[in-house]
Amino acid sequence: MSFHNDPLVQICGMSKEYVQRRPFRRIKFTVRAIENVNLTVHRGTTLALVGESGAGKSTVIRCLGLIETPTAGEIWFNGVNALTLDRGALFLLRRQIQIIFQDPTSALNPGMTAGEIIAEPLVIQREGTRQQQRKRGLELMEQVGLPAKWENKLPLEFSGGQRQRLAIARALTLEPKLLILDEALSNLDLINQEMILRLLAELQVLYSLTYIHVSHDLRMVSDFADEVAVMYEGRIVEQKSTAALFANPEHSYTQDLLGAMPLLESICEERYA
Amino acid sequence: MKHRRKLWGALILLAGLHGVVLFAGFFAPYSSSAQDRELPFAPPTRAHFFDIRGKFHAHPFVYGLKDDPKNFGAYETDFAQVYPLQFFVQGSRYRIAGMFYSRLHLFGVGSPGRIFVMGSDGYGRDQFTRFLYGGQISLAAGLIAAAFSVVLGIIIGALAGFYGGWIDDVLMRGGDLFMALPWLYLLFAVRAALPLHIAEWQVFLLLVAVIGLIGWVRPARLIRGVVLSAKERNFVVAARAFGASDAYLLRRHILPQTYGIVLTQMTLLIPQYILAEVTLTFLGLGVGEPMPSWGSLLSSLQQYYVLSSYWWMFVPALLLIPVFLAYYLAADALQERLKTVPL
Amino acid sequence: MRYLTRRLVHAMLLLLAISFLSFALLQWAPGNFFDDMRLNPRISAQTVDGLRVEYGMNRPFAVRYARWAYSVLKGNMGFSFSYNSPVAPLLWARARNTLLLTSMATLLAWLFAIPLGIWSAVDKGKWFDLACGFSTSALLTIPDLLLFLVLLLLAVRTGWFPTGGMVSTGFDHLSLWGKIKDVANHFALPTVGLAVVTLPVLVRHIRSAMIEALESPFIRAARGHGIPHRRLLFRYALPAAANPLISLLGFSVATMVSASVIVEVVMSWPGLGPLMIQAILSRDVNIVIGVVMLSSVFLVAGNLLADVLLFVSDPRIRVE
Repeated sequence: MSFHNDPLVQICGMSKEYVQRRPFRRIKFTVRAIENVNLTVHRGTTLALVGESGAGKSTVIRCLGLIETPTAGEIWFNGVNALTLDRGALFLLRRQIQIIFQDPTSALNPGMTAGEIIAEPLVIQREGTRQQQRKRGLELMEQVGLPAKWENKLPLEFSGGQRQRLAIARALTLEPKLLILDEALSNLDLINQEMILRLLAELQVLYSLTYIHVSHDLRMVSDFADEVAVMYEGRIVEQKSTAALFANPEHSYTQDLLGAMPLLESICEERYA
Repeated sequence: MKHRRKLWGALILLAGLHGVVLFAGFFAPYSSSAQDRELPFAPPTRAHFFDIRGKFHAHPFVYGLKDDPKNFGAYETDFAQVYPLQFFVQGSRYRIAGMFYSRLHLFGVGSPGRIFVMGSDGYGRDQFTRFLYGGQISLAAGLIAAAFSVVLGIIIGALAGFYGGWIDDVLMRGGDLFMALPWLYLLFAVRAALPLHIAEWQVFLLLVAVIGLIGWVRPARLIRGVVLSAKERNFVVAARAFGASDAYLLRRHILPQTYGIVLTQMTLLIPQYILAEVTLTFLGLGVGEPMPSWGSLLSSLQQYYVLSSYWWMFVPALLLIPVFLAYYLAADALQERLKTVPL
Repeated sequence: MRYLTRRLVHAMLLLLAISFLSFALLQWAPGNFFDDMRLNPRISAQTVDGLRVEYGMNRPFAVRYARWAYSVLKGNMGFSFSYNSPVAPLLWARARNTLLLTSMATLLAWLFAIPLGIWSAVDKGKWFDLACGFSTSALLTIPDLLLFLVLLLLAVRTGWFPTGGMVSTGFDHLSLWGKIKDVANHFALPTVGLAVVTLPVLVRHIRSAMIEALESPFIRAARGHGIPHRRLLFRYALPAAANPLISLLGFSVATMVSASVIVEVVMSWPGLGPLMIQAILSRDVNIVIGVVMLSSVFLVAGNLLADVLLFVSDPRIRVE
């Protein structure tokens, strides 16, 4: 959990608007999903992005993950302005940023086997022969804690936690620098959450990964995040180190958020002691 | 599972049907153009096991025909001419799958006897033979046209669903246009645009293309729906994040979701298209003589004397029913199966 | 009101597109009346060319289309080469017959389909529904052509109905009532045939629309309030099911128009169908275009009528 001086990701003034227009009508109305977002993430750290539903977290993720283009602002990744790249350079840049989704079931093609799923990024990026791709896939399976002999199983044969591990393995195939977890643990039970968090921590050390973790769950955030950024109505209202945020929340929304979070121990004390 | 049995039943029926038609040369006793001007409109030949003296013969036989002196155009059995029914006989030469020659027929009788399983037409041509050979044309027309429609539907539906925006608008409006036209008149209009004197197989292909052109709208709409929902699925988004191209996404992730619909649509379209070809040929606007499409087998029924006196000329029309039934059963079973398989 | 104008504009555009397409299609046809004429050794090339100029076939495409469109709007649909008379009067006479047939058949079909569909929906799963379902499936597998031929056979064999045409010989000498009876006698079989052919699909759709209406939450709530069955059915469920059914009416016009061609040919009913076929076989371009346009007009008009009915009956559309 050490801070390096150069940030891996720097987002400056990013905004995204969605325009809805009825066909053949002149009225359009714009939805401002995010506005003037500034975010900095340092190498090797974990940033938690919290906020209520509709605050814009997913939009930030989608722009950062280069799935959508923001209407304004800049995204600097590893010293490169991601939005000015041509198609070829963009293709290569994509390898370095990966996303893990909230619902592992929908993130995996139900018709593909585990082995195919993990190897898919290599296939898309056209790297290695069939054998090499398969070998790398099996390595990664072992690394996330899934036995290699399960490579021919379909996603429906895995439990929720195992599917999420599969998704993580897939994300690691191209040796990314940044891993974005879009509420990736929300659908799992607490024990699974714990296990995957531990796995993620191991992987972070092993591969020097940087994480951006989008979450609702402040308790979890307090466990693993180095820094926290709070989003409210499309803007970042606070970004501090975890300790600083919990100790001294400045914005009213953050205060509300913290106040609404009961600790398990205090519940036990209050109600059942 | 009920639908599995239904599906298998239908498929077996269809396979049998198509198999027999495919090997028409073998199953039919004559060639499709063989005429016997002596025996126009002969009724179906009956096979007998008992002769006129009541004696049983293990080997079936048929009697010859002679003109009935009392009714012009009718026949009466000539018990003097006895022809044993033989199996696996050598007969006229035919090609299998357009490549190999053979002379082997399933059954036949020695000349000048004739075995008309479904009677004969005005030129003395065996209707059974023509039915089998005609099946090759009509069934092929239905299959090829349906394949064409479905392929067109896939391309248009996938483009409209995947790219959305004005492409979607234009394509779907075009579809509206197609659906607004009465299909038979559309067929006519295009048929009218074709010259009347072009080669047989060209007529056939053009006809098939035109028939296929009228039915792409429904498959396209359904596929568009599937593509629209599939492209938002997270595994597609993930693949896109890996740098997948549009073509890859369509090929690997999106289109495989459509296979079920494609199959059901095809089984629904095939019988409709077979009927379209038969109707067109019946009206004189399809493939021409002497190609024995089922439509031309039926076209002589437009004459009253044929309609009222020669009932066996109806049989090809009646035999259409099991063909349709088999396809509809298959379509039904496929639809049920689609609902139970999770997407 | 905006809904109606929108639908009207849509219909107009559709007709325009169809007219353009049909005109283009036939202009680019690889063969036409004049080429065939040229093959005839008794007509000199000059005569053919002269005729071409006379019929204005040598002007550029856009000009021909514009002139043709303008004259169509004025009611002049060109000249038929093979019948040697203007196309429009030919078409009107035939169109009237086809309209008579198709509207009677539509009426008949819906007359039976509505009660059958409603009863099937109400008695869902019970014997009537199953019997109905079975018969509609059975009817669907019978090809239209076969049905019409069988009806024709019936006419020929039993002599109860005339076997073709619209009027008997000696028609003019009949009284008015006699005339009506005669025509009715002639179109009984074609109408029945057409109605039977379109019935199964209608019954199926009506049944599913009614089932959907009957199983919707607001009907269940109404039932819970104790509203009597019959009232529930006719005052609540049926109006709710009316929307998809009116759209169905619009669609069924298309199938009716197509099927009427076959009936008319098989039963020798003098409508647009046989005219069209003759025109194609003799390469009479103007009639072909005329019939295609006319049938499209019928279709679009049918759909527009359905839109109007929808507007009138469904308050949800008026609110928009």
